[in-house]
Amino acid sequence: MEEGTNTKFTYREVNEDLINFMTKTGPRYYIILAVVAASAVTLFFLPWAYQIYVGQGVTGLNAPVYWGVYLVNFVFWVGIAHAGTLISAMLYITKTPWRRAIARGAETMTLFAIVVVSLFVFAHMGRPWNLYWTLPYPSHRQLWTNFMSPIVFDVFAIGTYLTSSAIFLYFGMIPDLASLKHNATGWRKKLYTILSLGWRGTDKQWLVQARATMFFSSFIMPLVVSVHSVVSWDFALSIVPGYSKTIFAPYFVTGALLSGFAGVVLMLSVIRWSFPVFRKYITETHYDRMGMMIFFLSLVWSYLTAIEVLTGFYADNTFEWESIKYKILTTPSMQLFMLMIFSNTLLPLVLMVRKVRSCASSMSAVCSFVLVGMWLERYLIVPNALSRKFLPWMWRDYCPSWVEVSITAGAILFFVTMFMVSIKIFPLVSLFEVKEDAGIPMEKEGH
Amino acid sequence: MRTSVLGLFKYVDLLLSASGKLKGEGYSVTIISPVPLVHEIEHVEGEKKSFLRYFTLFGGISGFAFGMVLSLGTSALYVMPRGGRPIFSITPFLLISYETTILLGVIMSLLGFFAIAGLPYFKGLPHFKGEVECPEAAIDSFGLLIEDAGDDKLDYVEKTLKECGASEVRRVEAQ
Repeated sequence: MEEGTNTKFTYREVNEDLINFMTKTGPRYYIILAVVAASAVTLFFLPWAYQIYVGQGVTGLNAPVYWGVYLVNFVFWVGIAHAGTLISAMLYITKTPWRRAIARGAETMTLFAIVVVSLFVFAHMGRPWNLYWTLPYPSHRQLWTNFMSPIVFDVFAIGTYLTSSAIFLYFGMIPDLASLKHNATGWRKKLYTILSLGWRGTDKQWLVQARATMFFSSFIMPLVVSVHSVVSWDFALSIVPGYSKTIFAPYFVTGALLSGFAGVVLMLSVIRWSFPVFRKYITETHYDRMGMMIFFLSLVWSYLTAIEVLTGFYADNTFEWESIKYKILTTPSMQLFMLMIFSNTLLPLVLMVRKVRSCASSMSAVCSFVLVGMWLERYLIVPNALSRKFLPWMWRDYCPSWVEVSITAGAILFFVTMFMVSIKIFPLVSLFEVKEDAGIPMEKEGH
Repeated sequence: MRTSVLGLFKYVDLLLSASGKLKGEGYSVTIISPVPLVHEIEHVEGEKKSFLRYFTLFGGISGFAFGMVLSLGTSALYVMPRGGRPIFSITPFLLISYETTILLGVIMSLLGFFAIAGLPYFKGLPHFKGEVECPEAAIDSFGLLIEDAGDDKLDYVEKTLKECGASEVRRVEAQ
């Protein structure tokens, strides 16, 4: 198959497939959704309510390790959110055709991943109802936010990212909703009619749609880079050994993209396995190209990891050396570090082989390991560095409590719940872009 | 009610040749398609410019100004000593402005898109001039709508569309 063309379907088939997928839902789907949603509430919201009621003492956080698994998850999920926008924006700017069938799914993943990110900010805050203290607003206390603080950078960066991603997702969906309203009935028809805003698909509208997509993509590309750079500065702008590294911004951005791409591949695989109708849209070509991206990002990430460790050695600083020793030579961090290197550096080397890249099962296996490895990378930075903060009397090992573990697992289920609900209401693949994949019909070849 | 003529085409090159012919004769022509034909239309008619960039530019500039005014202005109004650091520190303030540039740039681009594309387009809104029902062109056909052709020209327009390869031609009235 030539890149960017997929002639396995007709325009009409795309509409019918999507509307059938969204409207014809068997009881098994509802049962799974109910179980996942109930588990999300049980594992995420109930322990969180307990934590709010009793206090942060129910977590494993204690002096000097005040940043634990919640912030590990925060950084991890920001990373997951990155690939969606990157696939949509960067690959749109570079006119990469294989992005079309997978961009919408990846964008949806981005939006829900940022929602999870926001939840971890709340979970991390002892008193989440005081979030508004981070926002600039006039008050009788005569206090304004400190614009030099990386935490305030975060508020602006994540806020902008959430808003832009939601706009990008909705904007791209308008022509699809207008198209689907003709196949839909009942409340769906009403919903799509309202949300499509009276889109007619005229040449003037498509022109401004194309220009706007280019502008959005051009804005969102630097935003992607800035968001994870800002997240890395939460750590890098401090003086804590293990945190204060100038390499952190590119290191975090690369890691975010690596985990984000792995997340997209895993999501696509689950969709393909669960709903065979999508196999004609998400093809081997997608796996192959995504595999190449993951292989490349894995190499860059490995290089930056080596730099991160080696610059610690070069620093010839006892505090830095202790931090590295704790990270790579002390149990259990050592084993976690080895697993991270295996998952993110060694295993992705198999992606050099085209057959491995093109196979959904092998790609899913590799990507599962990459996700574990990337979570471990954040774990080995965030609480680990604080565990060996300067003088020995300040040292303390950190172990997450059952509340933190439960909330971590619950967040994954909450993400799955949102995704499962969304794909039954809104199109999982972009109709008009997939139709473009099938080609523009011309009577004369080579027009 | 205005009567318009709608031609449905299976092939885009036939649609474009019909569009070019009728446009050349001075008719008001609108192409309705399920996929963007920007590249194909520009290939025939040349590159088209959009006012959207001015919305985007305005959003970006005002976003940057907002970020700078917010961080510099409030630092001046509410002086907060921070361990001997300068009250006005441009580097971190640029970062805030960077994010607000993007935020307002995106928001203004969206508003510009709505304004130029004429959205929302619902009955009751001042710019609503009626809508022609053409569900085929939202799914798998390409429509060519000739509005306000004039009652005496309707037959000619229909004939031209058929000659140019339209698979279906019908008279429609905007609702």
